[in-house]
Amino acid sequence: MSKQQAEVPYGTLDLLVLRTLAVMGALHGYAIARRIEQVSGDTLQLSQGSVHPALIRLEQEGWIQTEWGISETNRKVKFYSITKAGRKQLLVEVANWEKATSLVARFLEES
Amino acid sequence: MTLRRAAHQVLALLRRRRLEEELESEIEAHLELAERDALARGLSREEARWEARRRFGGVEQVKEVHRERRSFVWLDALLRDLRYGLAALAHSPGFTASVVGVLALGIGANVAMFSVMDAVMLKPLPFAEPDRIVRVWEAPRPGVSNATSAANFLEWKRLATDFEALSAENALSVALQNGGEPVRLNGKAVTAEYFRVFGTQARLGRTFSAEEDQGAGARVLVLSHAAWQNDFGADPAILNRRPMLDGEPYQVIGVLAPGAFDRDETKFWKPLAFTPVERTSKSHWLMVYGRLREGVSLTQVNDRMQAVYAATMEKASEEDRQGAIVVERLGRLLVGDNLQRSISVAFGAVALVLLIACANVANLLLAKGATRSKELAVRSALGASRGRLVAQLLTETLVLCLLGGAAGVVLAGALLRVATPVLKEALPFTAAVTLDLRALGFAGTVALVVALLTGTFPAVQTSFGSLAESLNRAARGSSGSHALVRRAIVIGEVGLSLVLVCGALLLLKSLLKLQQIETGIQVEHVITTSVDLPKSSYPTPERAAQFYEAVRERLEAVPGIRRVGLTSHMPLQWIGNGEALQEPGEAKLVRVRMKRVDPGYFQTLGIPLLAGRGVTARDTASAPRVIVINEALAARLKGVGRVQEAVGRRVRVSMPPFGEPREFLPEVEIAGVIRSERAGPPGMPDPAVVYVPMAQAPVAHVQLIVLAQADAAAVVTGLREAVRSVDSKLPLGEVATLEQVRARTLSGASRPAWLIGVFAVIAALLAGIGLYGVIAHTVSQRRKEIGIRMALGARSRDVLSQVLKNAVSLVCIGLGLGLLGALALTRVMKSLLYEVSPLDPLALAAGCLAMVLIGLLAGWIPAYRAAGVDPVTTLRDEG
Repeated sequence: MSKQQAEVPYGTLDLLVLRTLAVMGALHGYAIARRIEQVSGDTLQLSQGSVHPALIRLEQEGWIQTEWGISETNRKVKFYSITKAGRKQLLVEVANWEKATSLVARFLEES
Repeated sequence: MTLRRAAHQVLALLRRRRLEEELESEIEAHLELAERDALARGLSREEARWEARRRFGGVEQVKEVHRERRSFVWLDALLRDLRYGLAALAHSPGFTASVVGVLALGIGANVAMFSVMDAVMLKPLPFAEPDRIVRVWEAPRPGVSNATSAANFLEWKRLATDFEALSAENALSVALQNGGEPVRLNGKAVTAEYFRVFGTQARLGRTFSAEEDQGAGARVLVLSHAAWQNDFGADPAILNRRPMLDGEPYQVIGVLAPGAFDRDETKFWKPLAFTPVERTSKSHWLMVYGRLREGVSLTQVNDRMQAVYAATMEKASEEDRQGAIVVERLGRLLVGDNLQRSISVAFGAVALVLLIACANVANLLLAKGATRSKELAVRSALGASRGRLVAQLLTETLVLCLLGGAAGVVLAGALLRVATPVLKEALPFTAAVTLDLRALGFAGTVALVVALLTGTFPAVQTSFGSLAESLNRAARGSSGSHALVRRAIVIGEVGLSLVLVCGALLLLKSLLKLQQIETGIQVEHVITTSVDLPKSSYPTPERAAQFYEAVRERLEAVPGIRRVGLTSHMPLQWIGNGEALQEPGEAKLVRVRMKRVDPGYFQTLGIPLLAGRGVTARDTASAPRVIVINEALAARLKGVGRVQEAVGRRVRVSMPPFGEPREFLPEVEIAGVIRSERAGPPGMPDPAVVYVPMAQAPVAHVQLIVLAQADAAAVVTGLREAVRSVDSKLPLGEVATLEQVRARTLSGASRPAWLIGVFAVIAALLAGIGLYGVIAHTVSQRRKEIGIRMALGARSRDVLSQVLKNAVSLVCIGLGLGLLGALALTRVMKSLLYEVSPLDPLALAAGCLAMVLIGLLAGWIPAYRAAGVDPVTTLRDEG
């Protein structure tokens, strides 16, 4: 673990989860956490557990839905998949993110 | 937050258990999968387990965040804390019982007092649109209120435009013959609009019609609901009954709906029809009530009534025209300044008790918090935020306070039940004191406020500080800043208690002064009762005079009775009958009070004769008219230096003849002067009184005054039988000893005294308990120090005196604050005290002494225990 690790940027976990589900289809909680870590090339310091509170919120907002399935260890687990409303929300989040980064980028260019 | 999510969050509350289980299994599945991957990467089973957990992060923290996300965390947490709090309280029943007990005392007293205040001062009067109901007085001079004559009342009715209804009333007391023993029934003769004034309807039948107070007046009755139930057995056929009142049959035409009138002494109403004599008489004998027209203000009606007054007084003398008509709201009339002040002071006293109770509870919570810091540190280590810990501690306090509030409501109910007879006498009949929803709401609010007041500081204090510090401190089991706060609280308690104790002592001293008031009459062994002679069987003054003769003769023959006197007005009570006395050649009238007495009166009450003679058996109707006057009147007569000079003078005195309110101003001779007997309330100078021989001016209402040889109670049966043997249809009024009458009329002003006394004792006890707690805590903290000192040669006496000094110094600071408080309340107390200064040094000193004694006692027990410390044991314990 000598690699330099970054923390998840504030407020972006929702975006990462939605994006993951949009690309990968239905996944269970552990798979979502692993996928985010892998995509980041293990540079992200993510407590895997923190995806669970994020998932319940997204579910309550109606952006993702759950169905019961069987895990690789033969356990009943929830599989999450993105909904129509979730895809719309993903577009909003991506747009917000781009707006924010371009703003910051412009500030950095100026100085 | 979207609406959708909010709905989910509410649902989540209901599905708590299931969601919690799901989360648990999700996390387990997650860890299992992570472990499997780690094993696949070639780690050992042990290492894989550890790695999965490390990557996951804090399991408990994740659960906590999950809970916060999925639901209204505070509500969810509240439910959990409530359950946790109840469990914790059940664990330490001693602590719980003492806190709940102290709070129940404080809250109970306040809820009871609130019910009284609410009924008397806050709630509107129990009539329709009560603000429009007014009393109309005549004020012959500023500050004096007087009844009205029938002539004036009829003029007001004719001229005044501001009243929707205007009605006159005259109180009655009749004998009701309802089969069996005759009973006395209080009622009123009222003009037809009476029930429109009060907006009261009949439940059965009807109230009076407009023509029923005309001519000779109809022989009809309206009963109060209570009278119908109690005196007529709730007879459904009551409207067909013809009860005999004073020997004459009356038709019951209506029974009122249940309500305020049921708490009044008035049981029935009959029409008041004025006779031709009454219509022209100048005698003032009527009370007038009115209902204002919608939108008429009190100022408007008072202004316009002045014009009415001027019109009615056109032909009156210069002096009589000085007067006015005063229109006053019924509420203001029923709830006087004195009653308001008494209730406010009593409420203030119970509020102080509650404050002291709060201080004690806060103290107990702080002490308990100190012993719990370890538990809280562990919870904080397991992922509870500081806010959550404060919330949890506050919830526990809230549970305690709600329990205390509930117990307090039960206590308040018991207090009110016990106090019912006293309240009934002290409060106006319109006040229904009950524990209703408003009182329960008040109790709930007080419990919440108390929870915030007592809980916030200990909760913040207890949950404060870093984890390591807390664990450390818990190991030592003490904290310096706690101790400081607890001391400050105890000082405050002592100060508040002193204010209450001093107040109670002042009122007590005032009460003693009132009991020593010179009454000027024999009070011991005297028993009184009254009879009302009905017009039907006593139509003439002669018949009434015969009755007095006969009754006196029979009473004097009763064994155990030493002397008998008859009079028109109860001794020690205000003489309501005001008349005028005119000296020869003087236009100006002297206002006097008139009392009719028989030859036995002065002797029975031991009233000494100062000059001339008293009333004798020779002063019959046919003998020359005489009067006896009191010292106060003699001093007012022109050119009378010594009382002897008044005897033999001839003056004119107005006295309405038997049974009719007619003007009659006969010339009389002053036969003697007696020493004044007390008639007014405490602090009021003796009024000028004219005593008229009863045989020369008979009245229908007679007080019987009997001096017993020894035990006044023993002659009551004889008294009843003697009256029955003269007239078997005549019911007796209330039988009371003069001592009871004195307690009612003279000590009434200090009624809050006993109440505040009780609360002062409670407050002092609570302060003592608080002080004991703090001193005991300090001593237990300093056991080690004490042990060392004793090992170094300190004697038990030194330890004892040091601990006691500590206690007394706390008390002294508290006393300083308390005296300042007492000083601040001087103005309030002044109005409640009789001949006692609110800064009476004796009372203040006694209050301070009492608190110091309590302080010594509270300090003695822990000090004694400290002095018994075995140095070896303590040092080993704590080493």
